[in-house]
Amino acid sequence: MRKQSEKKASQMQVKRPNFFKLLWKYRVLTLMCVPAIVFFFAFSYMPLPGIYVAFVKYNYGKGIFGSKFVGLQNFEFLAESGKLLTLTRNTILYNLAFIILGNLLAVFVAILLNEMRSKWFKKVSQTMMFLPYFISQVLVGVLVYNLLNYDTGFVNGVLSSLGLEKWQPYADPNCWPVLLVIIYLWQQTGYNSVVYFAAIMGIDAEMIEASKVDGANAFQKIRYIILPSLKPTIVILLLFALGGVVKGNFGLFYNIIGTNSLLYGTTDIIETFVYRATMTDFNFSTASAVGLYQSVIGFVIVMTVNYIVKKIEPDYSLF
Amino acid sequence: MKKKLLAMLLATSMVAGVTACGSADAPASGGSDTDKKTESAASSDSSSSESSDSAAVDTSEHVVITYMVTGDKPDGEKAARLDEMMTELNKILTEKVNAELEIYYIGWTDYLSNYNLTLAQMDGSVDLIGTASDWLDAWPNAKNGAFLPLSEDMLKTYAPMTWASVTPDHWELCKYNGDIYLMPEDNYAQWTNHGFIYRLDWAKAAGLANGCHSWEDLTTYFKYVKETYPDIIPWDSDGTNYAQTAGGWVSSHSKFVAFDGICSGAIWGGTSDDLYTVVTPAYTDTEMMVEYAKMMKEWDQIGVWKTDVLNNTASSNRDDYRIGRVAAEQHHTQTWTDLCSATPSNTIYQDDPNAESGFFYFGEETDNVVALSITHGAMAVSAASKNPERALMVYDLIRNDEQCYDLFNYGIKGVSYEINDEGLRVNPEGYNPDTDNINGMTNYWWGRNDDLEIRDASRNWKAIDELYAKYDKIKIDYPYGQFVPDVDDIQGKIQNVNEVYTNYTKQISYGKYNGSAEDIVAEMQQALKQAGIEEVTAALQAQIDALYK
Repeated sequence: MRKQSEKKASQMQVKRPNFFKLLWKYRVLTLMCVPAIVFFFAFSYMPLPGIYVAFVKYNYGKGIFGSKFVGLQNFEFLAESGKLLTLTRNTILYNLAFIILGNLLAVFVAILLNEMRSKWFKKVSQTMMFLPYFISQVLVGVLVYNLLNYDTGFVNGVLSSLGLEKWQPYADPNCWPVLLVIIYLWQQTGYNSVVYFAAIMGIDAEMIEASKVDGANAFQKIRYIILPSLKPTIVILLLFALGGVVKGNFGLFYNIIGTNSLLYGTTDIIETFVYRATMTDFNFSTASAVGLYQSVIGFVIVMTVNYIVKKIEPDYSLF
Repeated sequence: MKKKLLAMLLATSMVAGVTACGSADAPASGGSDTDKKTESAASSDSSSSESSDSAAVDTSEHVVITYMVTGDKPDGEKAARLDEMMTELNKILTEKVNAELEIYYIGWTDYLSNYNLTLAQMDGSVDLIGTASDWLDAWPNAKNGAFLPLSEDMLKTYAPMTWASVTPDHWELCKYNGDIYLMPEDNYAQWTNHGFIYRLDWAKAAGLANGCHSWEDLTTYFKYVKETYPDIIPWDSDGTNYAQTAGGWVSSHSKFVAFDGICSGAIWGGTSDDLYTVVTPAYTDTEMMVEYAKMMKEWDQIGVWKTDVLNNTASSNRDDYRIGRVAAEQHHTQTWTDLCSATPSNTIYQDDPNAESGFFYFGEETDNVVALSITHGAMAVSAASKNPERALMVYDLIRNDEQCYDLFNYGIKGVSYEINDEGLRVNPEGYNPDTDNINGMTNYWWGRNDDLEIRDASRNWKAIDELYAKYDKIKIDYPYGQFVPDVDDIQGKIQNVNEVYTNYTKQISYGKYNGSAEDIVAEMQQALKQAGIEEVTAALQAQIDALYK
């Protein structure tokens, strides 16, 4: 909340006519902003002209701007593959599941943490949930393989010692949407819940005390005070997340599914497809073309959602 | 105001971006200009040294030539051994051409991407580049401008021994658009046709008195191994051998000769009796592919590989073969020459005196064996190299000078190797294969020279010579050495075809498909058609016609 108001203040600066005076007046704040500005300038704005590489036949010697212009040829392979729809659908659906379930679960966990009375237990469980976030995706892939593989996997070990039939997930495309979402939630929930937990901590204690005096029970407190106070945070985080809805989580998918083509139907996302298609001939231009495609769609989605949010509740929109 | 400001910001960022890119570009293009100049005035001096003496080769400035090679950088004691050798070698190189050599390693993890990325940098950090037309993207890189075109004058002046040793026909095969880009490894007997390496002693026990000579024999063999040695996984494949196995099936059942370097699936090619008609057996020969799918399903059911083979990334099949934990390895003849010999690391031969390794090569049934393209290993010079002349001089020595060759390939005599009475290479006393094997560190696969090679005494030369003689009788030379397909317009389709082919072959080659063999093959063919295989075939046919007809 506080951050947001700061941001608004900085936006106001721009609006006022005497910009440089204000810049001097808020020099400390501006100075604190400089690293972020430099970072985004260097890594987000400077490379922008490089987008042009998506429209040329890139030649190392001639450089990006000296190479031959080929128009939309680099985009053709995506369209010709006939998979564009499946890929985009998979990518978006997985990301929606990750975003929606991820945020719901994170809010839920944050509220649970907040309601815990034992400080010791609260810290321990928070740490435990946070840990998976730090495990590399490669290790997660190995872990999952060792849990689920048919010959020596842990799950199948348990199943067969119970006399049950073995399960072969690596040959069954239908179980992966569920498995991948579970793995994602296991990894990310601890981290995501921290943001919400902090937001809950920031809720005015007087409101909560007042509700207690009025005789609200724990559920009523959550329903009428905590959740409404979290709403702006949820909306902003959702908006940010939606911008990346077309950008797949390559690490997660590639390390777990790998190149098992049996499972592609339900697990192939834009990133993994492009990785396979362009790794064989090392084509910078087609790779950039795909990146541009994703960025454009992401941009459209953010603008649309932001527009809708603005219509409904102008305070919550990003810009 | 806000808009104005935004516009200003954007404009600044654009300008800054453009200038940044521009300035990064300038030296690169400038560099290639100088290269061109050098090339045109090749017999004269290197333009950078600015010496007025134009006749002799100017080596007054001491330079460091960096040789880029695929392989993992040695560390610890290994690196110390390598340094010792390099010091010796650099003494000679300094004396002869006033240059020294450094090795720049491209580690095996993701080697192809790192290789191409390093070339794409074009910052002059590498000079000599070990490359290959079939497995290291030599032609695409030449096309992309990463390699320096080597003029005849330049080669004659700076690499005279190499120039003389390679025949005009062979130089012809190293040209793209009329310029020579590669110096080929054309005087080195090696066979990299793939096949299955298996335990000959076990095959005999399985009732195959002569060993395995067909795919059906392999089925018998695998069945026997599975029954007799239940603890052994017959072939612990990591799920990446699908293209080789499928290609092997095709060469064993047809006269197909694949084009190198179009895509990893090697789907396009000709046939040995009709070389210049482009065919795609995997797409057109339904019956053959159905047979293949059926047999691989059978292998899967026998348990030749692990059930989750497609996700099995943690296999070390070749090392397991050496110690007898698996019963087969699928790779090429060159690997077999190692695995069939009683070297210290192949402990199967110490544990079991009867142990023998046979080789079933793909195409054995139809005598369909194609000799290696001479650009399977080749040296190129980076277009960004600051000292291309000296790089050539260094290469010329390493390739043709006995002293340099032995040092670079075998190490220091008495430390890394010794020569026995028969003139064969043996390990000296106290030799440690983990640290003293220079050959496994310099990875010089871009100009080995049979005139200077010293045979390794530990190799099973009897079996090897026998097989090589057989190959020599039936082989045909790689017929498409000069065919550098122009794929710009069909790149997208090739990518898609390759992707489709890879996905289906993976399932078929490991018997992991659902439904019947007929269904999966039909499904694959349908998908290939959709991806544009017929258009690509037609385009390639047109290019072949233009070149050969």
